Amino acid sequence: MPTLTFPLSRIEGHAQVVIEVHGGEVVSAHFEAMEIRGFRYFVQGVPAEQMPVIVPRVCGVCSTAHHVASVEALEDAYGVTPPPLANTIRELLMLGQIIQNQATSVFLFTMPDRLGTPSLFQPKEGAASEQDRAVLATRALKVRKAGTDLISLTGGQFIHPVKATVGGVTSGVPSGAAADMRQQIVDALPVACELFDMYWEMSMALRDRIGTWGDDAPAYYITATADTCPNYDGHPGDDVIRVLSPDGEDCDRFAARDFRDVLTFEETDYSYAGRTSYRDEAIRANSLARINMTRSMGTPRAEAYLNRFRDAFGHPAHAILLFDLGRGIELVYALERALEILEQPLDDEETAVPHVPQDGEGYGLVEAPRGPLIHHYRIEDDAIIDAEFIIPTVHNTKAIERALRVAARRYISADRIDMELEHAVGRVVRAFDPCIACATQ
Amino acid sequence: MDNRPSERFAVLQLSGCAGCEVALLNAGEWVDERELAYMPLVISAYDVPPVNTLLVSGGVRTDEDLHKLRLAVRRARRVVAVGTCAISGGVASLGNRDEVREIFLAEAERRHVPRLLPRCRPIDTAVEVDCYLPGCPPTPELFMAVLGIATGFQPGRNVCRECGRKKLRDMKPSHLVGFQRGEVLPDICLINQGYLCVGSSVRGGCRALCTRPGHPCVGCRGPSDVFIDKESEAWLDSIKRVFGSLTDIPEEELDAALRSPQLAMFLFQFTDYAQEHGTAEYRPPRPKEKLL
Repeated sequence: MPTLTFPLSRIEGHAQVVIEVHGGEVVSAHFEAMEIRGFRYFVQGVPAEQMPVIVPRVCGVCSTAHHVASVEALEDAYGVTPPPLANTIRELLMLGQIIQNQATSVFLFTMPDRLGTPSLFQPKEGAASEQDRAVLATRALKVRKAGTDLISLTGGQFIHPVKATVGGVTSGVPSGAAADMRQQIVDALPVACELFDMYWEMSMALRDRIGTWGDDAPAYYITATADTCPNYDGHPGDDVIRVLSPDGEDCDRFAARDFRDVLTFEETDYSYAGRTSYRDEAIRANSLARINMTRSMGTPRAEAYLNRFRDAFGHPAHAILLFDLGRGIELVYALERALEILEQPLDDEETAVPHVPQDGEGYGLVEAPRGPLIHHYRIEDDAIIDAEFIIPTVHNTKAIERALRVAARRYISADRIDMELEHAVGRVVRAFDPCIACATQ
Repeated sequence: MDNRPSERFAVLQLSGCAGCEVALLNAGEWVDERELAYMPLVISAYDVPPVNTLLVSGGVRTDEDLHKLRLAVRRARRVVAVGTCAISGGVASLGNRDEVREIFLAEAERRHVPRLLPRCRPIDTAVEVDCYLPGCPPTPELFMAVLGIATGFQPGRNVCRECGRKKLRDMKPSHLVGFQRGEVLPDICLINQGYLCVGSSVRGGCRALCTRPGHPCVGCRGPSDVFIDKESEAWLDSIKRVFGSLTDIPEEELDAALRSPQLAMFLFQFTDYAQEHGTAEYRPPRPKEKLL
């Protein structure tokens, strides 16, 4: 039985796609995560209070989400509620992550697929295009840097944040620093919109060239953001994960601590990452889930993009490549929302409340760039005795493999394999923006 | 492009978190100065082309890591070990504790995926390294320095020198406070406030980016030059001396705290954590001239 193996690039971490073909029929398409470090094992015995500094190292791309989820899991275990200003600063921190991540995915990971080049950093033949691309790369990095600097400002460190602590955050944002940050985002926003407009056009051209937006069947969607707007402040207390059915009905909502009643997890022998399902079906998390499950974006420019998106693709939208456009809308939203918050005073109230560490169990839930992320700790004698990391990429694994089968069938027939398949595999996987370091830890 | 390899560099990512790659992307200024020839995170390419500098991040965790590393170094004039994982195994080295290895390996052997090596190894157990760039991850400024773009780079001797918080003689805490207390006084040394900060003995160059906003240094840049070729005990003694002069914290309490996993993930950088000569995991002591 012929087996096609596709190494993957322009995603976080090490993974490959393996497609088995028999007599022109696609038998299987596997998404294989190829690394593991063993966090869930080696954190056993770690003093609970050190988790927020250790777990960001699960992933340098999603470190902020792990940092905040970890703090929230401990707050849940200790029964402590952070003051409002701490939640606001954590929201800014999460927005910084969304800006950084969506700019990376849209411009560095997937724009090269639209340009037909291996990378935004690599010149193609011809001086003109070389120059164009250098300008694109420089501008894309400028937008991305607004996110990075927002993380540094509110997280205290540029990759593995340290500022969220049990009961709050270590400090507010002084007004001078907030004003500088605000100006930087004011400058980055029009650049982001202009690049995203180009990206939208390039995506339409790509669709015309390949003749599809990625035509997999509708799926279930999950998110931890609100149904009114895509909030990232993770209000403790009303944290829920919502499920949308393939035909667009709200069909479930559950608290982080009840995830085992709703989601089914299975291991496979070909990957270090498992996969989850809902009612035995594939689930989709990440941008398209959030876009499908909100009434509004809540900020003017992002709202205009959302309306344009819904006019063009309907609601809910299901095509695979629409994840990518969704990320662009969220990039604009996060920049606009950060501007709103940075106008408020951010150092005039208490940023933390005292707490007493205690043994027990805690769940932390945040909406990470790739979807709902849960940290679950059991604590005895102030040390972790068990830790679970419920990872958004794992929720998407089944959906990725299903979409890969559809793509493979499109390009594989009894007498030939269309070489476009390799590009299609890359496009499908990148649409889900998987993170292998997180998925396997 | 092969006619100007001095401007070309490549990034090989082994088992790690991609934080080092993200830090490099944050240091965007190299885009106009250097040609990035290989970096799977942002470039679709199968092989490392000939380059002047190869940056390697992540630890050697699987047989595939080892294979890729050995192939890649042949194409490079200069090999740089970037970040704590490549230098000492980093956070993944916590998985080298015997009791963890047992459950971990039993689990891992079930899969049809790259085979896990018995331990997560620093890259200089397998190939020769010309330069070490410690940090978890190194800051953008450090990346610019290692690529020869930030030419006037001058690190402080240790993190304390770069921190700027005032050390007080008359503010002596009698016990450590946890990292998770949330309230930090500005401008005053974190040790005076009872936090377990090890910045006094840790390599400078990061500009104290954790301690200045109020988080104690956990030592990710590893030992400063004074301690780099010594054993971890000398380093721990030095930290204890600093606490002895600035606090009334009992030595037993400090001893216990210094053995915390949070610090242990960076302790692996010391010579006494290297395996014995003749074993596959042996690595030589790191000469300070090779460290940035």
